[in-house]
Amino acid sequence: MALKINGFTVLGRVVLAASVLLAAACAHTVKVDGDYPEPVGEQYPLNVGYYLSQDFREFTYHEDSEDRDEWNINTGRAQQNLFQTVLGAMFTESIPLASYPQDLPDSIELVIVPEVRELQFTMPRETRVNIFEVWIKYDMHAYDKNGDQVASWVITAYGKTPTAFLKSREAALGQAINVALRDAGATLYTGFERVPELQALVASKQRALSLKDQPGGEAETTD
Amino acid sequence: MVKVIFVILVAAATGCTTVVIDEYRRSDGELAAGDSVVILGRRHSSDYETEPDLIDCVGRTLHNPDGGVTVISEQHFVDAMYPWFEPRTAPLHLKSLDRLMENSKVRERLEAFGVKYIVWIDGSTETTASAGSIGCSIGTGGAGCFGFGTWDKESDYEASVWDFRDKELSGKLNADAKGTSYMPAIVIPIPLIARVQNNACKGMAAQLEQFLLPGQATKS
Repeated sequence: MALKINGFTVLGRVVLAASVLLAAACAHTVKVDGDYPEPVGEQYPLNVGYYLSQDFREFTYHEDSEDRDEWNINTGRAQQNLFQTVLGAMFTESIPLASYPQDLPDSIELVIVPEVRELQFTMPRETRVNIFEVWIKYDMHAYDKNGDQVASWVITAYGKTPTAFLKSREAALGQAINVALRDAGATLYTGFERVPELQALVASKQRALSLKDQPGGEAETTD
Repeated sequence: MVKVIFVILVAAATGCTTVVIDEYRRSDGELAAGDSVVILGRRHSSDYETEPDLIDCVGRTLHNPDGGVTVISEQHFVDAMYPWFEPRTAPLHLKSLDRLMENSKVRERLEAFGVKYIVWIDGSTETTASAGSIGCSIGTGGAGCFGFGTWDKESDYEASVWDFRDKELSGKLNADAKGTSYMPAIVIPIPLIARVQNNACKGMAAQLEQFLLPGQATKS
Protein backbone atom coordinates (compact mmCIF):
# COMPACT_ATOMS: atom_id res chain seq x y z
CA MET A 1 0.00 0.00 0.00
CA ALA A 2 1.36 3.45 -0.94
CA LEU A 3 2.14 5.83 1.95
CA LYS A 4 -0.18 8.87 1.86
CA ILE A 5 0.42 12.31 3.40
CA ASN A 6 -2.32 14.97 3.06
CA GLY A 7 -3.92 13.00 0.24
CA PHE A 8 -0.70 12.75 -1.88
CA THR A 9 1.39 9.62 -2.04
CA VAL A 10 5.09 10.13 -1.32
CA LEU A 11 5.85 9.01 -4.86
CA GLY A 12 3.37 11.60 -6.19
CA ARG A 13 5.09 14.35 -4.22
CA VAL A 14 8.50 13.35 -5.49
CA VAL A 15 7.24 13.33 -9.09
CA LEU A 16 5.56 16.73 -8.57
CA ALA A 17 8.71 18.24 -7.02
CA ALA A 18 10.87 16.84 -9.82
CA SER A 19 8.48 18.24 -12.45
CA VAL A 20 8.53 21.68 -10.84
CA LEU A 21 12.33 21.60 -10.66
CA LEU A 22 12.60 20.51 -14.31
CA ALA A 23 10.17 23.22 -15.44
CA ALA A 24 12.09 25.84 -13.45
CA ALA A 25 15.38 24.63 -14.91
CA CYS A 26 14.09 25.35 -18.44
CA ALA A 27 12.61 28.77 -17.61
CA HIS A 28 14.81 31.82 -18.12
CA THR A 29 14.17 35.11 -16.39
CA VAL A 30 15.68 38.41 -17.47
CA LYS A 31 15.06 41.61 -15.55
CA VAL A 32 16.42 44.63 -17.30
CA ASP A 33 17.25 47.75 -15.38
CA GLY A 34 19.38 50.66 -16.41
CA ASP A 35 19.98 54.37 -16.37
CA TYR A 36 19.96 56.25 -19.62
CA PRO A 37 21.56 59.58 -20.52
CA GLU A 38 19.63 62.73 -21.34
CA PRO A 39 19.62 63.67 -25.02
CA VAL A 40 21.98 66.46 -26.09
CA GLY A 41 20.31 69.07 -28.27
CA GLU A 42 17.62 71.68 -28.46
CA GLN A 43 14.42 71.21 -26.50
CA TYR A 44 11.08 71.28 -28.28
CA PRO A 45 9.18 74.36 -27.09
CA LEU A 46 6.19 72.46 -25.70
CA ASN A 47 4.66 71.84 -22.31
CA VAL A 48 4.13 68.11 -22.31
CA GLY A 49 2.64 65.63 -19.89
CA TYR A 50 3.48 61.96 -20.24
CA TYR A 51 1.63 59.02 -18.83
CA LEU A 52 3.36 55.69 -18.27
CA SER A 53 0.64 53.18 -17.42
CA GLN A 54 1.06 50.43 -14.86
CA ASP A 55 1.16 47.86 -17.69
CA PHE A 56 3.98 49.83 -19.26
CA ARG A 57 5.92 50.26 -16.02
CA GLU A 58 5.64 46.57 -15.17
CA PHE A 59 5.86 45.15 -18.68
CA THR A 60 7.01 41.53 -18.82
CA TYR A 61 7.29 39.62 -22.06
CA HIS A 62 6.45 35.97 -21.65
CA GLU A 63 7.23 33.33 -24.25
CA ASP A 64 6.74 29.62 -23.94
CA SER A 65 6.69 28.02 -27.37
CA GLU A 66 7.45 24.45 -28.46
CA ASP A 67 10.77 25.23 -30.11
CA ARG A 68 12.12 27.46 -27.36
CA ASP A 69 12.62 27.38 -23.61
CA GLU A 70 10.34 29.45 -21.46
CA TRP A 71 11.42 33.09 -21.22
CA ASN A 72 10.19 35.85 -18.94
CA ILE A 73 11.70 39.21 -19.84
CA ASN A 74 10.88 42.15 -17.64
CA THR A 75 11.68 45.49 -19.28
CA GLY A 76 9.19 47.62 -17.33
CA ARG A 77 11.59 49.33 -14.97
CA ALA A 78 14.19 50.02 -17.65
CA GLN A 79 11.72 51.48 -20.16
CA GLN A 80 10.19 53.60 -17.41
CA ASN A 81 13.65 55.03 -16.66
CA LEU A 82 14.30 55.59 -20.36
CA PHE A 83 11.04 57.38 -21.18
CA GLN A 84 11.21 59.47 -17.99
CA THR A 85 14.74 60.59 -18.85
CA VAL A 86 14.22 61.26 -22.55
CA LEU A 87 10.73 62.79 -22.37
CA GLY A 88 11.80 64.72 -19.28
CA ALA A 89 14.67 66.36 -21.17
CA MET A 90 13.37 66.87 -24.70
CA PHE A 91 10.68 69.52 -23.99
CA THR A 92 10.85 72.89 -22.30
CA GLU A 93 8.48 71.52 -19.67
CA SER A 94 7.64 67.88 -19.00
CA ILE A 95 5.29 66.63 -16.32
CA PRO A 96 4.91 62.95 -15.39
CA LEU A 97 1.20 62.18 -15.00
CA ALA A 98 0.01 59.79 -12.31
CA SER A 99 -3.33 59.38 -14.09
CA TYR A 100 -4.76 60.07 -17.49
CA PRO A 101 -7.03 61.65 -18.67
CA GLN A 102 -8.11 62.95 -15.24
CA ASP A 103 -6.50 65.84 -13.34
CA LEU A 104 -4.44 67.32 -16.16
CA PRO A 105 -2.50 70.47 -15.25
CA ASP A 106 -3.73 73.54 -17.16
CA SER A 107 -0.35 74.35 -18.68
CA ILE A 108 -0.15 71.10 -20.65
CA GLU A 109 -0.36 71.35 -24.44
CA LEU A 110 0.24 67.72 -25.30
CA VAL A 111 0.00 64.37 -23.52
CA ILE A 112 2.22 61.50 -24.68
CA VAL A 113 1.25 57.92 -23.89
CA PRO A 114 3.58 55.08 -24.98
CA GLU A 115 2.53 51.42 -25.21
CA VAL A 116 4.58 48.31 -25.95
CA ARG A 117 3.22 46.64 -29.07
CA GLU A 118 5.67 43.75 -29.28
CA LEU A 119 9.06 42.41 -28.32
CA GLN A 120 11.03 39.81 -30.25
CA PHE A 121 14.44 38.28 -29.81
CA THR A 122 16.74 35.78 -31.48
CA MET A 123 19.56 33.66 -30.13
CA PRO A 124 22.86 32.85 -31.91
CA ARG A 125 21.95 29.18 -32.34
CA GLU A 126 18.71 30.16 -34.11
CA THR A 127 20.26 32.55 -36.62
CA ARG A 128 23.75 31.02 -36.80
CA VAL A 129 25.08 34.54 -36.42
CA ASN A 130 27.23 35.18 -33.40
CA ILE A 131 24.95 37.85 -31.91
CA PHE A 132 21.87 38.20 -29.71
CA GLU A 133 19.23 40.43 -31.30
CA VAL A 134 16.18 42.20 -29.84
CA TRP A 135 13.39 44.20 -31.46
CA ILE A 136 10.91 46.28 -29.48
CA LYS A 137 8.01 48.10 -31.09
CA TYR A 138 6.25 50.94 -29.28
CA ASP A 139 2.93 52.54 -30.20
CA MET A 140 3.16 56.22 -29.36
CA HIS A 141 0.03 58.32 -28.86
CA ALA A 142 -0.18 62.07 -28.47
CA TYR A 143 -3.37 63.76 -27.23
CA ASP A 144 -4.35 67.36 -26.67
CA LYS A 145 -5.56 68.42 -23.25
CA ASN A 146 -9.17 67.67 -24.23
CA GLY A 147 -8.25 64.04 -24.86
CA ASP A 148 -8.49 64.24 -28.67
CA GLN A 149 -5.78 62.36 -30.52
CA VAL A 150 -3.21 64.67 -32.14
CA ALA A 151 -0.89 62.02 -33.56
CA SER A 152 0.06 58.39 -33.31
CA TRP A 153 3.30 56.90 -34.53
CA VAL A 154 5.44 53.81 -34.11
CA ILE A 155 8.95 53.52 -32.71
CA THR A 156 10.87 50.42 -33.71
CA ALA A 157 13.96 49.79 -31.63
CA TYR A 158 16.73 47.31 -32.36
CA GLY A 159 19.58 46.11 -30.22
CA LYS A 160 22.25 43.48 -30.58
CA THR A 161 25.21 42.28 -28.65
CA PRO A 162 27.94 39.77 -29.46
CA THR A 163 28.22 36.53 -27.57
CA ALA A 164 30.93 36.67 -24.98
CA PHE A 165 32.94 33.97 -23.33
CA LEU A 166 31.57 33.02 -19.91
CA LYS A 167 28.54 35.29 -20.29
CA SER A 168 25.10 33.75 -19.72
CA ARG A 169 22.34 33.95 -22.31
CA GLU A 170 20.31 36.00 -19.85
CA ALA A 171 23.11 38.54 -19.40
CA ALA A 172 23.71 38.80 -23.15
CA LEU A 173 20.00 39.24 -23.85
CA GLY A 174 19.73 41.86 -21.09
CA GLN A 175 22.59 43.77 -22.71
CA ALA A 176 20.92 43.58 -26.15
CA ILE A 177 17.66 44.90 -24.62
CA ASN A 178 19.55 47.82 -23.10
CA VAL A 179 20.97 48.65 -26.54
CA ALA A 180 17.44 48.42 -28.00
CA LEU A 181 16.08 50.74 -25.32
CA ARG A 182 18.80 53.29 -26.03
CA ASP A 183 17.83 53.02 -29.69
CA ALA A 184 14.18 53.61 -28.74
CA GLY A 185 15.20 56.76 -26.86
CA ALA A 186 17.28 57.94 -29.81
CA THR A 187 14.39 57.40 -32.23
CA LEU A 188 11.93 59.08 -29.87
CA TYR A 189 14.10 62.20 -29.69
CA THR A 190 15.33 62.41 -33.28
CA GLY A 191 12.06 61.21 -34.85
CA PHE A 192 9.63 63.39 -32.92
CA GLU A 193 9.63 66.20 -35.44
CA ARG A 194 9.34 63.78 -38.36
CA VAL A 195 5.73 63.05 -37.37
CA PRO A 196 3.83 65.57 -39.56
CA GLU A 197 1.21 66.50 -36.93
CA LEU A 198 3.86 67.07 -34.28
CA GLN A 199 6.06 69.00 -36.71
CA ALA A 200 3.10 71.31 -37.37
CA LEU A 201 2.48 71.70 -33.64
CA VAL A 202 6.13 72.56 -32.92
CA ALA A 203 6.24 75.00 -35.86
CA SER A 204 3.05 76.68 -34.67
CA LYS A 205 4.44 77.03 -31.14
CA GLN A 206 7.73 78.41 -32.44
CA ARG A 207 5.83 80.95 -34.53
CA ALA A 208 3.78 81.96 -31.51
CA LEU A 209 6.89 82.36 -29.38
CA SER A 210 8.70 84.43 -32.02
CA LEU A 211 5.66 86.72 -32.36
CA LYS A 212 5.57 87.08 -28.60
CA ASP A 213 9.27 87.99 -28.55
CA GLN A 214 8.80 90.76 -31.12
CA PRO A 215 8.31 94.23 -29.61
CA GLY A 216 4.58 94.94 -29.48
CA GLY A 217 3.87 91.42 -30.75
CA GLU A 218 0.86 89.44 -29.56
CA ALA A 219 0.98 85.91 -28.31
CA GLU A 220 -0.65 83.37 -30.55
CA THR A 221 -2.27 80.40 -28.93
CA THR A 222 -1.69 76.87 -30.17
CA ASP A 223 -5.11 75.55 -29.19
CA MET B 1 63.89 29.76 -10.87
CA VAL B 2 60.17 29.22 -10.28
CA LYS B 3 59.46 32.52 -12.07
CA VAL B 4 61.49 31.42 -15.10
CA ILE B 5 59.64 28.11 -15.29
CA PHE B 6 56.32 29.94 -14.93
CA VAL B 7 57.18 32.34 -17.80
CA ILE B 8 58.29 29.43 -20.01
CA LEU B 9 55.07 27.54 -19.22
CA VAL B 10 52.91 30.58 -19.99
CA ALA B 11 54.79 31.18 -23.24
CA ALA B 12 54.42 27.54 -24.19
CA ALA B 13 50.75 27.50 -23.25
CA THR B 14 49.66 30.00 -25.89
CA GLY B 15 48.89 29.22 -29.49
CA CYS B 16 50.57 31.02 -32.38
CA THR B 17 49.12 34.19 -33.88
CA THR B 18 50.18 36.22 -36.89
CA VAL B 19 49.19 39.87 -37.20
CA VAL B 20 49.40 41.96 -40.37
CA ILE B 21 48.94 45.72 -40.18
CA ASP B 22 48.36 47.89 -43.26
CA GLU B 23 48.28 51.66 -43.20
CA TYR B 24 47.04 54.35 -45.54
CA ARG B 25 48.03 57.82 -44.41
CA ARG B 26 46.70 61.04 -45.89
CA SER B 27 48.15 63.38 -43.30
CA ASP B 28 50.39 63.04 -40.28
CA GLY B 29 48.89 63.11 -36.83
CA GLU B 30 49.28 66.29 -34.83
CA LEU B 31 48.11 66.12 -31.25
CA ALA B 32 48.60 69.29 -29.20
CA ALA B 33 48.42 69.54 -25.42
CA GLY B 34 44.80 69.18 -24.30
CA ASP B 35 43.73 67.33 -27.44
CA SER B 36 41.99 64.03 -27.03
CA VAL B 37 41.18 61.01 -29.14
CA VAL B 38 37.92 59.04 -29.16
CA ILE B 39 37.91 55.41 -30.22
CA LEU B 40 34.49 54.12 -31.23
CA GLY B 41 33.22 50.81 -32.57
CA ARG B 42 31.03 50.57 -35.65
CA ARG B 43 27.85 48.66 -34.79
CA HIS B 44 25.58 49.21 -37.80
CA SER B 45 26.26 45.92 -39.59
CA SER B 46 23.54 43.29 -39.33
CA ASP B 47 25.73 40.19 -39.22
CA TYR B 48 28.50 41.10 -36.81
CA GLU B 49 29.29 43.58 -34.10
CA THR B 50 32.60 45.26 -33.32
CA GLU B 51 33.28 43.95 -29.84
CA PRO B 52 33.21 46.56 -27.03
CA ASP B 53 36.11 44.79 -25.30
CA LEU B 54 38.29 45.25 -28.41
CA ILE B 55 37.53 49.00 -28.39
CA ASP B 56 38.23 49.10 -24.68
CA CYS B 57 41.53 47.22 -25.19
CA VAL B 58 42.73 49.59 -27.96
CA GLY B 59 41.76 52.61 -25.86
CA ARG B 60 43.51 51.34 -22.73
CA THR B 61 46.65 50.39 -24.66
CA LEU B 62 46.80 53.72 -26.46
CA HIS B 63 45.91 55.95 -23.50
CA ASN B 64 49.09 57.60 -22.31
CA PRO B 65 48.56 61.23 -21.24
CA ASP B 66 52.24 61.63 -20.32
CA GLY B 67 53.19 60.51 -23.82
CA GLY B 68 50.70 62.91 -25.41
CA VAL B 69 47.71 60.65 -26.16
CA THR B 70 44.56 61.09 -24.07
CA VAL B 71 41.81 58.66 -24.98
CA ILE B 72 38.20 59.23 -23.95
CA SER B 73 36.46 55.97 -23.11
CA GLU B 74 33.82 54.87 -25.59
CA GLN B 75 30.96 54.49 -23.10
CA HIS B 76 31.65 57.85 -21.47
CA PHE B 77 31.72 59.60 -24.84
CA VAL B 78 28.65 57.87 -26.26
CA ASP B 79 26.66 58.63 -23.08
CA ALA B 80 27.76 62.27 -23.11
CA MET B 81 26.78 62.63 -26.79
CA TYR B 82 23.51 60.66 -26.57
CA PRO B 83 21.71 60.02 -28.90
CA TRP B 84 24.05 61.08 -31.73
CA PHE B 85 26.62 58.26 -31.61
CA GLU B 86 24.26 55.30 -31.19
CA PRO B 87 24.53 52.41 -33.71
CA ARG B 88 21.76 53.80 -35.93
CA THR B 89 22.43 57.52 -35.52
CA ALA B 90 26.24 57.68 -35.61
CA PRO B 91 27.67 59.56 -38.61
CA LEU B 92 28.90 57.12 -41.23
CA HIS B 93 30.70 59.76 -43.31
CA LEU B 94 32.41 63.06 -42.66
CA LYS B 95 29.55 64.86 -44.41
CA SER B 96 27.16 63.45 -41.82
CA LEU B 97 29.48 64.70 -39.08
CA ASP B 98 29.38 68.16 -40.69
CA ARG B 99 25.60 68.08 -40.59
CA LEU B 100 25.69 66.99 -36.97
CA MET B 101 27.92 69.94 -36.12
CA GLU B 102 25.15 72.30 -37.22
CA ASN B 103 23.52 71.38 -33.91
CA SER B 104 25.14 73.95 -31.61
CA LYS B 105 24.70 71.94 -28.39
CA VAL B 106 26.33 68.87 -29.94
CA ARG B 107 29.21 70.97 -31.31
CA GLU B 108 29.77 72.65 -27.94
CA ARG B 109 29.83 69.28 -26.16
CA LEU B 110 32.32 67.84 -28.65
CA GLU B 111 34.55 70.90 -28.43
CA ALA B 112 34.44 70.72 -24.62
CA PHE B 113 35.94 67.23 -24.87
CA GLY B 114 38.86 68.67 -26.86
CA VAL B 115 38.38 66.01 -29.52
CA LYS B 116 40.96 66.15 -32.30
CA TYR B 117 40.57 62.65 -33.74
CA ILE B 118 37.65 60.27 -33.91
CA VAL B 119 38.84 56.73 -34.65
CA TRP B 120 36.15 54.35 -35.94
CA ILE B 121 37.00 50.67 -35.67
CA ASP B 122 34.94 48.26 -37.73
CA GLY B 123 35.33 44.49 -37.75
CA SER B 124 35.14 41.39 -35.62
CA THR B 125 36.90 38.23 -34.51
CA GLU B 126 35.36 34.94 -35.63
CA THR B 127 36.03 31.26 -35.26
CA THR B 128 36.61 30.11 -38.83
CA ALA B 129 37.22 26.37 -38.34
CA SER B 130 37.28 23.77 -35.62
CA ALA B 131 38.14 20.09 -35.46
CA GLY B 132 38.69 17.23 -33.03
CA SER B 133 36.77 16.09 -29.99
CA ILE B 134 37.33 15.65 -26.29
CA GLY B 135 35.45 13.19 -24.12
CA CYS B 136 35.27 13.38 -20.35
CA SER B 137 34.02 10.70 -17.97
CA ILE B 138 33.56 10.30 -14.26
CA GLY B 139 33.52 7.06 -12.34
CA THR B 140 34.20 5.53 -8.94
CA GLY B 141 37.93 5.44 -9.70
CA GLY B 142 38.08 9.16 -10.59
CA ALA B 143 37.44 11.52 -13.51
CA GLY B 144 39.36 12.43 -16.62
CA CYS B 145 39.23 13.67 -20.20
CA PHE B 146 40.82 12.33 -23.35
CA GLY B 147 41.00 13.74 -26.85
CA PHE B 148 42.25 16.66 -28.89
CA GLY B 149 40.52 19.80 -30.11
CA THR B 150 41.70 22.62 -32.34
CA TRP B 151 40.10 25.79 -33.68
CA ASP B 152 41.12 28.73 -35.85
CA LYS B 153 40.21 32.32 -35.19
CA GLU B 154 40.49 35.31 -37.50
CA SER B 155 40.32 38.99 -36.67
CA ASP B 156 39.74 41.62 -39.31
CA TYR B 157 39.53 45.22 -38.16
CA GLU B 158 39.69 48.51 -40.02
CA ALA B 159 40.26 51.80 -38.23
CA SER B 160 39.29 55.07 -39.95
CA VAL B 161 40.90 58.14 -38.40
CA TRP B 162 38.79 61.28 -38.76
CA ASP B 163 40.33 64.65 -38.05
CA PHE B 164 37.45 66.34 -36.26
CA ARG B 165 38.83 69.90 -36.49
CA ASP B 166 39.90 69.80 -40.14
CA LYS B 167 36.90 67.63 -41.06
CA GLU B 168 38.95 65.22 -43.14
CA LEU B 169 39.91 61.59 -43.26
CA SER B 170 43.47 61.43 -41.94
CA GLY B 171 44.03 57.79 -42.78
CA LYS B 172 43.06 54.18 -42.41
CA LEU B 173 44.63 51.22 -40.64
CA ASN B 174 43.88 47.59 -41.16
CA ALA B 175 44.71 44.81 -38.70
CA ASP B 176 44.36 41.17 -39.75
CA ALA B 177 45.21 38.50 -37.21
CA LYS B 178 44.99 34.73 -37.46
CA GLY B 179 45.70 32.07 -34.92
CA THR B 180 45.11 28.45 -34.06
CA SER B 181 44.32 27.24 -30.56
CA TYR B 182 44.83 23.66 -29.36
CA MET B 183 43.40 21.68 -26.50
CA PRO B 184 45.03 18.30 -25.91
CA ALA B 185 43.42 16.34 -23.09
CA ILE B 186 45.19 13.48 -21.37
CA VAL B 187 43.27 13.19 -18.10
CA ILE B 188 43.41 17.00 -17.76
CA PRO B 189 42.58 19.32 -20.72
CA ILE B 190 45.48 21.71 -21.41
CA PRO B 191 44.28 24.79 -23.34
CA LEU B 192 46.87 26.40 -25.64
CA ILE B 193 44.91 29.50 -26.57
CA ALA B 194 45.92 31.83 -29.40
CA ARG B 195 45.02 35.34 -28.25
CA VAL B 196 43.96 36.54 -31.69
CA GLN B 197 41.75 39.48 -30.72
CA ASN B 198 44.20 40.64 -28.07
CA ASN B 199 47.09 40.59 -30.54
CA ALA B 200 45.02 42.47 -33.12
CA CYS B 201 44.27 45.05 -30.42
CA LYS B 202 47.93 45.46 -29.45
CA GLY B 203 49.03 45.71 -33.09
CA MET B 204 46.39 48.27 -33.91
CA ALA B 205 47.10 50.35 -30.79
CA ALA B 206 50.84 50.43 -31.56
CA GLN B 207 50.18 51.47 -35.15
CA LEU B 208 47.68 54.11 -34.08
CA GLU B 209 50.25 55.54 -31.69
CA GLN B 210 52.75 55.90 -34.55
CA PHE B 211 50.01 57.40 -36.68
CA LEU B 212 48.93 59.99 -34.10
CA LEU B 213 52.42 60.83 -32.82
CA PRO B 214 54.64 60.29 -35.86
CA GLY B 215 57.63 62.00 -34.25
CA GLN B 216 57.77 59.77 -31.17
CA ALA B 217 58.97 56.22 -30.59
CA THR B 218 56.28 53.70 -29.72
CA LYS B 219 55.77 52.49 -26.19
CA SER B 220 56.03 48.80 -27.11
